[in-house]
Formats: sequence, C-alpha cells, structure tokens
Amino acid sequence: MASAACKRWVVDVRAIAATSRGAFAESVANPKAFWAQVAAMMINDLGWMAFWVLFFDEVGEVRGWDGERALLLLAVFATSAGLVLGLFTNARHIGRMAADGELDAALALPVPPLTYLLVRRISPVNLGDVLFGIVLFAVSGRPDAGRVGIFVVGVAASAGLLLGFLVVTGSLGFFVGHGETGDLGFNAILLLANYPADFFGGPTKLVLYTVIPAAFVTAVPATLIDEFDWAQAALLLAASATFLVAAWATFTLGLRRYSSGSVWTQA
Amino acid sequence: MPPWVGVAVRTGARRVLAEPSALLMQVFFYLLVTGAVTSLWRVAVEANGGTVAGYDARALTWYLALSEGAYLAVHSRIIEEIGDDVAGGTVASEMLRPAPVVGVRLATELGKALPRLAVNCGAGVLLCLLTVGAPPSTAGLLLAVPAMLLAGACNLAAMHGVAALTFWLRDARTSWFLYQKLIFIFGGMLLPLQVLPPWLHDVAVRLPFMTMTYVPARLASGHVEPELLLVQLGWLAVLAAFATSAFAGGERRLQAVGG
Repeated sequence: MASAACKRWVVDVRAIAATSRGAFAESVANPKAFWAQVAAMMINDLGWMAFWVLFFDEVGEVRGWDGERALLLLAVFATSAGLVLGLFTNARHIGRMAADGELDAALALPVPPLTYLLVRRISPVNLGDVLFGIVLFAVSGRPDAGRVGIFVVGVAASAGLLLGFLVVTGSLGFFVGHGETGDLGFNAILLLANYPADFFGGPTKLVLYTVIPAAFVTAVPATLIDEFDWAQAALLLAASATFLVAAWATFTLGLRRYSSGSVWTQA
Repeated sequence: MPPWVGVAVRTGARRVLAEPSALLMQVFFYLLVTGAVTSLWRVAVEANGGTVAGYDARALTWYLALSEGAYLAVHSRIIEEIGDDVAGGTVASEMLRPAPVVGVRLATELGKALPRLAVNCGAGVLLCLLTVGAPPSTAGLLLAVPAMLLAGACNLAAMHGVAALTFWLRDARTSWFLYQKLIFIFGGMLLPLQVLPPWLHDVAVRLPFMTMTYVPARLASGHVEPELLLVQLGWLAVLAAFATSAFAGGERRLQAVGG
C-alpha cells in the first residue's frame, strides 16, 4: 500500500517536473524577448528603489525604518513576488479560470491539478524581479553568511505565503462564481506589501497580519534580516505553512463546485 | 468638432457604466492605494515636526488623493493593448473607418476615464474629509477639477504616442510599466515634486509627466496656481500632435508591410 503511494508520488513529481521544464522551454524559446523582458522589469524596479531613496532622504528614520531597511524590504519583495509570479504564473489567474470553467484540460490529466496549473506557465517579466531582488540584496543588504541564510529562508517563507494567499483568494472564485476575488486579493496584497507594516496603525495593521497578510510577505522577513528573533521567525514560517495548507484545502473543496465552461485551453 | 468624437466619448463612458461591479472594484482599489500612501506620508510628516517639503499632513492627504485619482482613472495598460492590436491586425481593420484611428481611440479612452474620474474624485474627497477635514483652499480644489480632466487627456495622449512605437518595434509591451514608473517619480504621483533634489526637480518640471498627476494634486493641496492649467494645455497640444503624427507614420508603415 505504502509502496503504491510512493510510486504514485514519484510519477506525479516526474510529471510535474516535465511540465515545469516545458513551461521554461516555452518562455525562453525567443531568448531576445526573454532577456528584454527581464531587463525591462529590472529597470522598472529601479523606479521603486528611487522612491524609497528619495522618501527617506527627505524624512529620515521613521518608526525604525530608514532607507537601508526599506531597500531590504524591496529586495525581499522583488525576489519573493518574482518567484511566485514568475515561476507559478497561473497562481494569479486561478480565480478567473475557475469562474470561467477553463480547468477541463488540467482535470483530464493524471497529475494533481493545482500543482500542474501552478507550474504550467512561466512569466519571464517577473523573473527580472527575482534577479533585481538578489542583486539589490547583494549590493545594499550587507550580506554575510547569517544574513544570506535569513534572506533565503525569509524569501522562501514569504513566497510560500504569497502563493498560498493568491490560490486561496483565487479559489474563492469557485464559490462566488466570478474571478474578481482573485484580482482583488492579488492587487491588495502586492500593493500593501510594498510598504513597511509599521507605518500603519490600529485596525489596518491587524489586517496586514491576518486577512491580507502583507506584513509577512515583506516587513517581517526584512526586519528579521536586521534583527533576528526566533518567535517572529516561527510566526512567519507558521503563517506561510497555514496559507499553503489553506490554499490546497480551498482549491480542493472548490473543485467540487466547479462546472465546465466547455472551453479547452492549455491552462 | 467632428461628430465621431462625441459618439466615441459616449460609447466609452457607457461601456464603463455598464459594468458597475468593475467600477466598484476600481473605487475599492483606489481607496486601498490612497489609504496606504496617505498613511505613509502622514506618519512621515508627524515624525518631521509637522511638514515635509512645505506640505503639512492635510495638504499631503489632499495631494495624494488627487494624484492617485487622476492616475487610476486612466487604464494603465493601454500601451500594451495597442501593441497587441497593432500586432494582431485590429488597427489595420480600424483604418477602414472614415475617422482617424488614434482620434477614435483617444476619444473612447477619454470617455472610459470620465466615470472613473468622477467616482475616484467622490471617494477621494470623502476620504480626505473623514481623515483630515476640509481642503486647504476651496479655490485650489475648484481649479483641480478641470486639471483632473486635462491630466487624464495628457496621460492618454502620451500613452498613445508611446504605444505607436509598436509600429516600429513590434513588441513594446514591457514599455507600459516603465512609462508607469516615470509618472510615479517625475509625475509626482507618489511624492510631490518638491521632495525631489533640486536638479531632479528642475528636470521633472520640464517633462510632460507633471501634467498627468502633479498639477491637479498641487492645486488641491492648497496652492492656487492657475498658470499650471496653461502648462497642461500646452503639453496636451504637444502630446496630441505627437500621438497623431506617430500613428500617422505607423499606419503608413503598416500599409507598406501589408502590401
């Protein structure tokens, strides 16, 4: 029994790895276009960098945040958001696909549909974010072994949480019948994650740590790199794991309400 | 004015009004963005003894409500969409109409922006009244109304001009978010131009991006400077001419490619 489950798992992993390779090959089929998009996104991110430099140059240190830590936040954000939107591009489209009945092709395959959908597409533009985030951390994040370790784990937890959140809000589309919940969740978390959570007070701050967990996507990992705290780190990992489990559960439950739109897409 | 202008503006507006849920989502997003950015700046003002670059918390809140309102009223991915339409042949079929392609597109997009502008302004005024109270100057706020319309028109004209590059480059999709960042910084969307270092400020006031968000925001923040409307009108003429000539050149090229 255990051996059959193990074999099944190996087959699934192979199929998903093959899908990922296919998606990557598709995205680099035109190398010029691929690198042009990567470079354009890196230049775009310089705009945000300029904003933080100008902002803190004018206002100085505010609530424990200065220009250097804001750049750390930007590095974490660019890397984790780039990983999620670059490597799991469909995470932000699940709501629309569910509501429009576009999952038939994925459901007909002998692989876990959520995993397949997530790795099916790669967005080169967002891979530019990943490159930018890593370079920014290397240049302004005072990297040493400890800080690099926290950056890597922090980005992984942040990316897991962001991925989970996008799938949860997207999967609500199965229940409400339209994909706008996914778009709303996507816009809200990416927007709020741009800013240090300490700049918000009262109920807004509570929202940033719960309903729209933008604080765990950027502010918490960035602060951990500067001031490591085991309790905060454990909270970040727990939040990330919670959202990943919630994503799987919401999608699986939502699939029971899925109705086909008779649209055969490549997902 | 040719009759197709009014028809295109009305059609654009009706398209947006026909989807109230999308309009509602747009207001929600506007309030979310404006709420976040104004919180950020209010905290900064508080930490800096009450003013930043000559703006107090009230002036900055009104500034950001209007700058975000003007920016978000215009569909930001027009450059990408026009690029797709050029590549996909939609523009070629639009050339069969007895009206200029860029003119109809501009008028339609302006029509779409009008309802969004109205709801953003309404929500922004409400947000400001609830958080910081009355505007610093009623005259400034009244001047900001035509400035908002001109800001939308300048932004649309510039985006159509940039999008026309697709006729030559074939793929200008990624240019839309680079253009967006120019408005963020040089347009004064996220921060008043007075925050920029002097040399960058001098560059910014010579570029057209300031007409797209800074002008209405500056007026609403209590600075009664009506001459800014003239600056917008001047840039609108330049940007409209740029978009028209770029499209005309591109259409000639498209015909040549198509044989």
